Amino acid sequence: MTFLVQLWLFFRRDLLIAKSYRSPFVMEILQALFGTAMFYYVARFVDSPELRQSLPQSGGYFAFSLIGFVFLDYMNAALDAFDRSLEEARDSGTLEHLLVTQTSLPAMLAGSALYPFAVTTLRIAVYLAWGALFFGFPLRSANWLAVLAVVLVSLLAFSGLGILSAAYLLLFKRGNPAKWLVIGISSVVGGMLFPVSILPDWLQILARLNPITYALDAMRAALLGSARVQDLLKPIAILLCFAAVLLPSSMLAFAAALGRTKSTGTLAHR
Amino acid sequence: MAVPDFAVSIESLNKLFPPIRTGWRSFLQPFEPASFPALQDVSFSVREGESVALLGANGAGKSTLLRILSTLLLPTSGQAAVAGYDTVQSAHDVRHTLGFHAGSDLGFYGRLTGRENLRFFGRLNHLSAAVARHRIEEFSARFELYGALDRQVRTLSSGTIQRLSLARALLHSPRVLLLDEPTRSLDAIAATTFRHFLKSELLRRGSTTLLFASHSLSEIELLADRVAVLNQGRLIALDSPSSLKRETSSATLEEAFFRLAGHSHDFSAEKAQS
Repeated sequence: MTFLVQLWLFFRRDLLIAKSYRSPFVMEILQALFGTAMFYYVARFVDSPELRQSLPQSGGYFAFSLIGFVFLDYMNAALDAFDRSLEEARDSGTLEHLLVTQTSLPAMLAGSALYPFAVTTLRIAVYLAWGALFFGFPLRSANWLAVLAVVLVSLLAFSGLGILSAAYLLLFKRGNPAKWLVIGISSVVGGMLFPVSILPDWLQILARLNPITYALDAMRAALLGSARVQDLLKPIAILLCFAAVLLPSSMLAFAAALGRTKSTGTLAHR
Repeated sequence: MAVPDFAVSIESLNKLFPPIRTGWRSFLQPFEPASFPALQDVSFSVREGESVALLGANGAGKSTLLRILSTLLLPTSGQAAVAGYDTVQSAHDVRHTLGFHAGSDLGFYGRLTGRENLRFFGRLNHLSAAVARHRIEEFSARFELYGALDRQVRTLSSGTIQRLSLARALLHSPRVLLLDEPTRSLDAIAATTFRHFLKSELLRRGSTTLLFASHSLSEIELLADRVAVLNQGRLIALDSPSSLKRETSSATLEEAFFRLAGHSHDFSAEKAQS
């Protein structure tokens, strides 16, 4: 059985579970409309020619902040997907049964994250669609191939952090406090609601150590500045470097945590 | 490591657990040194196609042994191999050969139907969609699961979930079957049907090796070629049920178990009363 079939099986499992709740997706779509409207009116309130000048792309503060807000969702999803899935498997008792199947650890981890990533992508698309339909978000200037490339490499980079968080959960049985620190720091220094350039120098250094900064810069350039993939090679390469370091090290950490819990007999403990 | 003659081989197996910490000390749990012995110097082998029962009081080490063989636990020292594959060094190959039933009614996705659960786990065990579908139908008929297949697992009784779990363990036709208290939550009819299936179909064909833990002595007498008696983590006897009775001069397996484990009970008085 190929890796891809196993990924599909996990995706289908999560889709069926989500469907069984019959959760009102309509409500989420409406919530996205309210969120988009809020950013629009905040932008109208604060927007000025000086502010527009300090932003790297056209589209004004509304487009800038909306991208910052929705794209941070990817980081949240990546940090949440692995440990939430692990927690659910542990609590339902399915973790042990998954681990005695012939599924590899990478397939199990990647498969568990696929559905949350797909839902996050859908949610982000809804936000952007509302923005374009009602509030003049300039979607026409987007280069979709570049957007796709940035999303993929960003998810790879963020996933390393998510798997580290899951390793922590496996070992210590509770949520990872470092996860909230990463999200908090990313909100402040990642360039979500304001350009990193206005931060003091020492905070800018912190920003450059965080993959979200490069992901947001590249995403804004692709969505608002019509940047092509070849224009974004530098941030894409940096994000790939983050992924190249974080993914193998997080997989090793997860495997070590799994080995430790198998040794202490605490695999299924809550 | 290839040991073709034995489906399961266990050599000088020891398992120590660390003490369980609560409160703020639980953060130190992963680093606690292991000190509580769950298995001590256990060695025995199970031949291809043989059926061996693990018998012992609660905490004797039966589930620990099954979990080590299913790769869910790492031994502290010693070696365990399934179908010739070491459970630590070649865990993936071990998982390729075994079916495991954990003995609890957990382990399914409550929001998915029985069929969706079985298909998911079957396909993760490399069954094609068509074969998985066919086997699910086959085991549904055998274990009378039809009513359960299209209902969410959270709405099913413990006994039905147990039957689903047994079906899951068997779905991919494993060479080695590890069952922890397989009939614990089953009603008398379901338990008898399942034992009959194991005895007359699975074991008779000789292609499946069975290692199971049970507290039901009649089940052990019916199914087991040999019985491994565990007491406080040690293997204290390993023989056929009839030999165990003969060697301990006991009329029943229950009596033999009591004698082997060093428990005192007046079986003669019980016999006289009956």
